[in-house]
Amino acid sequence: MANLRSLVRRRKAIRNIRKITKTMELIATARFKKAFDRATEADAYTRKIAELAADLSKNAGEVSHPLLAARPVVKKVLVLVITANRGLCGGYNGSILREAMPKIRALREAGTDFDLDVSGKRGIAYFKFQQVPTTNSYTNFEDKPKFEDVDALASRYIDLFVSGQVDQVIVVYQKFITAAKQYPIAETLLPLSSVAVEATKKAAAVETTAGTSVGYEFFPGAAEILGELVPVAFKVRLFKAFLDAAVSEQIARRVAMKAATENAGDLIKGVTRLYNRTRQANITKEISELIAGSEALK
Amino acid sequence: MAAIKISVVTPEKAVLDATADFVVLPMFDGERGVGAGHSAFVGQLGPGEFRFTTAGVTSRYFIDGGFAQVRTNTVTVLTAKAVKAGELTATAAEEARAVAEKLPATNSVEQASRQKAIARASAMARVAAKN
Repeated sequence: MANLRSLVRRRKAIRNIRKITKTMELIATARFKKAFDRATEADAYTRKIAELAADLSKNAGEVSHPLLAARPVVKKVLVLVITANRGLCGGYNGSILREAMPKIRALREAGTDFDLDVSGKRGIAYFKFQQVPTTNSYTNFEDKPKFEDVDALASRYIDLFVSGQVDQVIVVYQKFITAAKQYPIAETLLPLSSVAVEATKKAAAVETTAGTSVGYEFFPGAAEILGELVPVAFKVRLFKAFLDAAVSEQIARRVAMKAATENAGDLIKGVTRLYNRTRQANITKEISELIAGSEALK
Repeated sequence: MAAIKISVVTPEKAVLDATADFVVLPMFDGERGVGAGHSAFVGQLGPGEFRFTTAGVTSRYFIDGGFAQVRTNTVTVLTAKAVKAGELTATAAEEARAVAEKLPATNSVEQASRQKAIARASAMARVAAKN
């Protein structure tokens, strides 16, 4: 029997793989839903902060904060790259690293000194292979980033920026827009540009929607509170980056595993057809041998 | 009838949505009580105890600093962390204090962060002690 056993073995193996990829697809779907819910909760907090910033800047006017000030001379940049710990997520890690590498090469060519922070084992392995020295690596940010962990990281970045050791903080991650749209982006998180910008936008919105604007009292004072609000706004933006990365990772894994499951199904069909053809060819060969043998005996 | 709507929001989730008769906020410089019909204000919070009373029952939370907005009988608290006071133990507060005291203090920025962490641990200890 020509290779029938090996075809059966192959089909069984592909069947098992299909079961695994199907399960991974379902798990990724469930995790995506949870990660998406977490991102939505963070959205409520971010909106409230922006609303406060709008109310405050209406009363405090122009505010200057060290985190908002763009530095004319950028001597040192800190780049944070957020990748996944595991693979099997399609082009997710590749696209982020393809966004990060040109940025790093440009910094190298310009002669700007930079520190590289990497989150995720895939990114760590890649930069090791590319022989780019990594300053800090994190593997504890999985699909449920905790604000406490991001807070520690954000506080460190704030201290580095304010003390002048770093002039710019860039984060490379997969931005999540909708379930069908995510793309890698390199965002400059420090200096913070948009507390003021968001504030004016939200202020315009508030003016048009709510007719009466509330006359607030401020404890201690509008400018002081705004000064405290800016670092909080930065921390939330960094947290949002990690949340977006987590959601995008789950979507990428789901899409990749879905495609793998469908491919496995097609392979099984192909192997089944091959098996049946082989089986029939064997039977035909046997029959024709029998007939030829009986003819020879006549 | 509980007149004040309370909403405590952290970046991870909306922790509390409730109504109360009287609310006490841990401001940066002490406690501030808010009753029904309080005038609108925005305040900076320090680490401390967040209390509210509904029909004689007082509920306590530990809030890790943040901001509070009061307007039209609605109190919104934005904070990084909010836990029920009952869940806070004295040992957790001691651990936090030990960690805070070990923080580096080489420049003024680090010194400020260390002081903040120590103040936070002290507030945790105070809230836990009242349990």
